[in-house]
Amino acid sequence: MKNKSLLHRFVDWVNGDVADDRPGNIRTVGSLPEAKPPKEKPEHTDPLRHLNRQIAAYRVSAVLVCVSLMLALTYTVLCLPTYNDPSAPTNNEVSQRYVEQGMEETGAVNTVAGMILDYRAFDTFGESTVLFTATAAVLFITLSKHTKEWTERGPFADSSKDPILQVVGKILLPMIFVYGIYVVLNGHLSPGGGFSGGAVLGGGLILASSMFGQKKMVRVLSANVTTGLSVACLLAYAAMKGYSFFTGANHVGWEIPKGTPGDILSSGFILPLNICVGIIVACTMFSFYSLFSQVEEE
Amino acid sequence: MIYFEFLLLIFLIFCAVGTVFTRNLLSSIIVFMAFSAIMSVIWLLLESPDLAITEAAVGAGVDTILFLVTLKRIHALKGTEKDEK
Amino acid sequence: MIRTILAVALMCFGMFSVCVSALGLFRFQCVLNRIHAAAVTDTLGVLGLMLGLVLLCGWTVMTVKICIIIVFMWLAGPVVTHLVAKMELLTERNIDAEAPHEEGELLL
Repeated sequence: MKNKSLLHRFVDWVNGDVADDRPGNIRTVGSLPEAKPPKEKPEHTDPLRHLNRQIAAYRVSAVLVCVSLMLALTYTVLCLPTYNDPSAPTNNEVSQRYVEQGMEETGAVNTVAGMILDYRAFDTFGESTVLFTATAAVLFITLSKHTKEWTERGPFADSSKDPILQVVGKILLPMIFVYGIYVVLNGHLSPGGGFSGGAVLGGGLILASSMFGQKKMVRVLSANVTTGLSVACLLAYAAMKGYSFFTGANHVGWEIPKGTPGDILSSGFILPLNICVGIIVACTMFSFYSLFSQVEEE
Repeated sequence: MIYFEFLLLIFLIFCAVGTVFTRNLLSSIIVFMAFSAIMSVIWLLLESPDLAITEAAVGAGVDTILFLVTLKRIHALKGTEKDEK
Repeated sequence: MIRTILAVALMCFGMFSVCVSALGLFRFQCVLNRIHAAAVTDTLGVLGLMLGLVLLCGWTVMTVKICIIIVFMWLAGPVVTHLVAKMELLTERNIDAEAPHEEGELLL
């Protein structure tokens, strides 16, 4: 091991090939009380001492790094301007403009929605892309050749046949979905929006899949369908926002009508953008759940 | 009302410390869920209901489910060990 | 005036129920006992708190929303309790020592 280069040793360490019996390893933490790491003996042979010295150095360096980071962050916090200070750099003309003219310029009654989906829509686009990238990464990891089949066994598979859960879930599911859709559609009028409503919808989808069983849900919403929906919504978001930036910045003249503030069909592209973000978030939540909960075939 | 906020912030700190220092992973997840619930109330008191809805739905609901599913996946939950049937 | 007093009394009753449930959650040993203490008193506590809020608000749209919240909690809470108890029955190894029962009594 000593002959290997630093890069190779790092690769081995990432793969978990070295020092598997180290206390504090992820496999021994917290699973069962009897799975605690064995105590170190007072007398030991040569390689064990080397390992112990490594562990001690690791602990000391961890404490040092944490303390130095803490000091740096505390110093940064101390240098921040005081809360509600009128001369702070955050209290500049930007927020004033948002508050005063946000409703006229974006047409949204909810100023926060106008901010995140009109003034700073590219930030929201980036966040949605992050969600999509996370889904893609989980797909890469979990959707291997061996996990194509959806199998359910063990005591946890029985919950999909529970009659009490089925009856009550059929009453609760429409309420949850209506609430989520309401939050998404009224994002520009009341608190809420794509992220909140999408999370509620994702929770409802997870409840549905634990009610009806994984197999039935996957027949409707497979990984392909959720990925396709996410991609379609991201592309629609990019197209709409690109169009609105182009026409707004260059004064082309084909601007989107703002509508009267307060109507549900108002405020330009904020409503469809909200719907896009909501669908992306709901699909991401559900695909995370279904990808993580599928059982490996041995 | 300011005392209520102080109380919530103290709870928040306790939950954050408890999340890190709990040995059992399941208890850690439950404490983290309590952290999210308290955080959502604090967002509501700070007059940002948007974030409160998101925090309640994501932090207390979906995140917990995802953590539990992950624990089940790595066979760290009671009753899902590989040697059991 | 009477309305306020009644509302405060109801909310105090709800808070008392929730406190009892928290106490039971910590004092009992076995999981099924704990679930029983937490769930039953929680349902009553939600009812007391929400009825107090209804009396404080008066007859507005808020009343309907609070009633929907009560219906939601009463539907969701017992089902979750049922599922947790079922999981405990299915996964606990020494369930016979924890909950003494006749043969075939714990049918699911």
